[in-house]
Amino acid sequence: MKISKDWLAEYVELPSTVEELAKGLTMAGLEVEGIHRPGEGLRGVVVAQIVASVQHPNADKLSVTQVDAGALGKLQIVCGAKNYQVGDKVPLATVGTRLPNGTEIKQAALRGVESSGMLCSARELGLSEEASGLLILDPAQKAGTPIAQALGLDEVILELNVTPNRPDALAHHGIAREVAAITGKALKPVDVKVKESGGAAAAKVKIRIEDPAGCPRYAGRVIENLTVGPSPEWLRRRLEACGVRSINNIVDVTNYVNLELGQPLHAFDLDKVGGAEIVVRRARKGEKLKTLDGKERALDPDDLVIADQDRAQALAGTMGGEPTEVGGATRRILLESACFHAPSVRRMSKRHGLHTEASHRFERGSDIDVVGTALDRAAALIAQLSSGTLLQGRVDVYPQPAPNRRVKLRYPRLDAVLGLAIPPAEARRILTALGFVAEGKGGATEETFAVPHARVDVDREEDLIEEVARIFGYDRIPESLPRGVSDLAPEPVEMQSERRVRQALSGAGLDEVVNYSFVSAPELPWTRSGALSELGQPPVSIALKNPLSAELAVMRVSLYSGLLQNLARNLRHQVQAVKLYEIGNVFAPDPQGGLEGRPVAHETLMIGGLLWGKRDARTWSVADVEVDFFDAKGAVEAVLGSLGLTDAVYAPAEEAPFHPRSCARILVGGKPVGILGELHPKAAKKLDVPAATYLFQLDAQALYTAARLLPQYVSLPKYPAVLRDLAVVVPLELRHEEIRGVIREVGGALVEEARVFDVYTGKPIPEGRKNVAYAISYRASERTLTDEEVNAAHTKIVDEVNRRLGASLRGSNP
Amino acid sequence: MKERLTALAEEARARIGEAADLGKVEELRVRYLGKKGELSSVLGGMGKLAPDERRALGEVANKVKAELEGLLQQALGRAEDSQLEAQLKGPQVDVTLPGRLRRPGRRHPVSRALEDIVRTFQRLGFTVATGPEIELDHYNFEALNFPPEHPARDMQDTFWVDAHWLDKNALEKGGPVLLRTHTSPVQIRSMLGQKPPVRIVVPGRVFRRDSDITHTPMFHQVEGLLVDEKVTFAELKGTLAAFARAFFGPETQTRFRPSFFPFTEPSAEVDVSCTACAGKGCRVCKQTGWLEVLGSGMVHPNVLRAVGYDPEKYTGYAFGMGVERLAMLRHKIDDLRLMFENDVRFLEQF
Repeated sequence: MKISKDWLAEYVELPSTVEELAKGLTMAGLEVEGIHRPGEGLRGVVVAQIVASVQHPNADKLSVTQVDAGALGKLQIVCGAKNYQVGDKVPLATVGTRLPNGTEIKQAALRGVESSGMLCSARELGLSEEASGLLILDPAQKAGTPIAQALGLDEVILELNVTPNRPDALAHHGIAREVAAITGKALKPVDVKVKESGGAAAAKVKIRIEDPAGCPRYAGRVIENLTVGPSPEWLRRRLEACGVRSINNIVDVTNYVNLELGQPLHAFDLDKVGGAEIVVRRARKGEKLKTLDGKERALDPDDLVIADQDRAQALAGTMGGEPTEVGGATRRILLESACFHAPSVRRMSKRHGLHTEASHRFERGSDIDVVGTALDRAAALIAQLSSGTLLQGRVDVYPQPAPNRRVKLRYPRLDAVLGLAIPPAEARRILTALGFVAEGKGGATEETFAVPHARVDVDREEDLIEEVARIFGYDRIPESLPRGVSDLAPEPVEMQSERRVRQALSGAGLDEVVNYSFVSAPELPWTRSGALSELGQPPVSIALKNPLSAELAVMRVSLYSGLLQNLARNLRHQVQAVKLYEIGNVFAPDPQGGLEGRPVAHETLMIGGLLWGKRDARTWSVADVEVDFFDAKGAVEAVLGSLGLTDAVYAPAEEAPFHPRSCARILVGGKPVGILGELHPKAAKKLDVPAATYLFQLDAQALYTAARLLPQYVSLPKYPAVLRDLAVVVPLELRHEEIRGVIREVGGALVEEARVFDVYTGKPIPEGRKNVAYAISYRASERTLTDEEVNAAHTKIVDEVNRRLGASLRGSNP
Repeated sequence: MKERLTALAEEARARIGEAADLGKVEELRVRYLGKKGELSSVLGGMGKLAPDERRALGEVANKVKAELEGLLQQALGRAEDSQLEAQLKGPQVDVTLPGRLRRPGRRHPVSRALEDIVRTFQRLGFTVATGPEIELDHYNFEALNFPPEHPARDMQDTFWVDAHWLDKNALEKGGPVLLRTHTSPVQIRSMLGQKPPVRIVVPGRVFRRDSDITHTPMFHQVEGLLVDEKVTFAELKGTLAAFARAFFGPETQTRFRPSFFPFTEPSAEVDVSCTACAGKGCRVCKQTGWLEVLGSGMVHPNVLRAVGYDPEKYTGYAFGMGVERLAMLRHKIDDLRLMFENDVRFLEQF
């Protein structure tokens, strides 16, 4: 909302500086977002009259002029333009001026002739693109007048951010009331002087409201014998300063009064209103209307329309229709001032995609009391500016005059909510200044106020408390320290766990990312979970009805989509490695959702990771190798380890979107908690990311539930361990866990640990086999083991591994 | 034999005295004192001697042995010293080479700010609550006093969800399904689940249908809610001023401006003194000296009523902040979009 300072000053005395005014409004809840001074760049430019002009002695294209610059006296200016005559008034940039285009005006000699300034074109003043010579000013302007003033650019415009609860503040008079309440100065009413003549308006037009819920009040006035024409200068300037384009004297007045009082008005060409009858009703089925923007609109039966006796002629409170538009030939108008049901206007405005100055106000709720005032004010102005005859009387249909709401304010409650004592007299002063009317004599403990209809946002005690507080000043309310805590609950497991998980993943070298929760639908089949056979098939998912774009249209079903996009994006730069993780929800429909407070969808918190590229940044001290499955597994183990989960099982799996030979399901306590593996080559191709990309995704809640956050102490061994290595050559496909299982089973309680320390294929190991080496630690808790015991156990393990797994000790015959 | 012993001792003294390295000393120890060493071989012939002579010779032999042991010990010490000396003068480690460490991963600036904010309120006794991101209109708007068809809804452009899977009853009761536009529905869910006092802090993702230089369709909020008997606006001011000092630094000033949120009354926007210029006025704060960082207010009686609390008995305050904005301010990040591009060169800086 643009507010003109001069206009505001017509209703209330303003603080001495505009900054003070802006601060006052801002601190009362009417945030001033900007202060514009359109003429600011023109300081130093004044009106000058050319009193003489002769040819420059040394330059064909230049003239030497003598100008009268009022108080600045007579000056000699060298000028290149030719479009003036002696006696013209033109803009003069005096010495020291800095023009909007950056030019600095200096005292100078041009080809040997002194020049004390520059005569300017509109372009040089930044007012227009045109440069066809000097800007010739209105001869009525006085020499020496600052140009900003002469051109009406000396206005100060405040840009206000008005919250949607305050339609009353979408008008100069409404803002003036706020200023009066803040400063304690008097508010002047809008000057309404109606001069009526001719017959009664009621004889010329009939008004009927068929839908009083949609339109509780509709008032009209008739003006005849008028002449449509351009508006006077003062009116055009005011409107333009507030960002409204001038159209003609009729429309301009309706806009002016709207900006003044916040009441949208509309003028109909009365000769085109069928039967000279206005009916406010809902649209009929199949009814059409061509609105002022030239669009033919099919109306909805919920649309509230202003009709004549035959058809809809305007969308109520939103936009007029073309057939009854006021134009050059218009002689008689019906001026409408009405109050419409806010939700009806909002629905209509949304339905037709029409957000207008009028709908903006009406959908916020309008002041039913100002309907008459605004009508009179506008009718009088129109009659005056268009030399029309204002017929007698308002045709005012107001079937059920609305009573003012009455709200009680208890002063102790005011103090209790705010946390300080405000004297009742001060509260009463504030509310009265804002237009609230105290009923009866004010009590010391409570008082009832009648709420003005303009304040659609006030209907309960808290609202009055806010009114008092904001004008009293939030800054005057003390700050008290937050109260102490009565008890301390343990921090939830989820929070503790998540912190550890982040630390673990950081330690594993993964950077955290945050991706949008919505992705593009075509990605889903390739980033989904599920059986491998489902890779490439669209999963069950949740779509947005009004996505911003096709790329952000469905809720993600896994974290892979975002991570893989991040990989693709990073590959555009010369990165050697991309290692990322994200913690966030994935989504699926829940058919039982929404009932009894249950969330509407399954939202599963996941921990997802991606690894691609070099294991470490290339450096002198570590091997330069690519990440593989076991780097991803290491990250997963770090996560599980941070939660005290050291006994996870990794089961080979064939699942989407993973390579069937390089994928493991992760189980904790027999329950699946996640999956990891290499991205399936088909998916990699579809998503345009490199092969050898490793991903994992863990169900955070499942992990947090299983987490053992407080390690339990196990007593240190009292007796020494005996270490023996075991190397076996086994078929390639035999898994480490199977070998280790046999070692543990056969060795029984004596085997404390069997740690794999080498896996080797290649010569001299035969094709199809591998060498696996274990460091076995033997220990008994209650005594020192003898060599014989250990030898016996070790031999037994060797024999059994050999017998059961088709293994052979390295070096012995296969 | 005695002469042989004396000669042996003489020779050994000289050699041990010359021995300079550990190897040589050990070699001499074996040569003279080892099991098959020269001293043993001399004494091997003692069996043939008379007992008297044997005793006398034994004494001499022991003396020689003791002496040689002492000398060897000294020689060992000298050799160790000189070896250490040599080591200490050996080639220097190139201390300028980089250390051996896998680069740790970094926290995303948003998640880091989020955690810091939450932790600050935890210190004030707030406990963490969370809620669903796909919500019913009822929790996101209705119960928070956003009337249907009210322009206040335009303050939060909404993503609507095609909830074809939902039961009709759920839709009728809860209204259409949407992506939550703020974390405030968690206020409702939390209050429905417990009696006052309530003191929660709610971190989470929120969604608004908006995308330009300063808006992304998804961002993070942290919301706070405190409901109890006799809670005042003054306490709201004190709490948020304390938070601002904790998060932005002890010199931070706060300013409370009246504003409008449907679920609070009175409502306030909270500005903090500009983090870039300390309130003097600069480009970051558009010369105002202030940065708008929080929305807040006293919980609206309609909201309390919607969850079955008696607004006469209980009052409370609520506040909410955008985490991206706070993260940008504290790290001086000038482009919001960087937050979701996840460029490794960006992520590595935090």
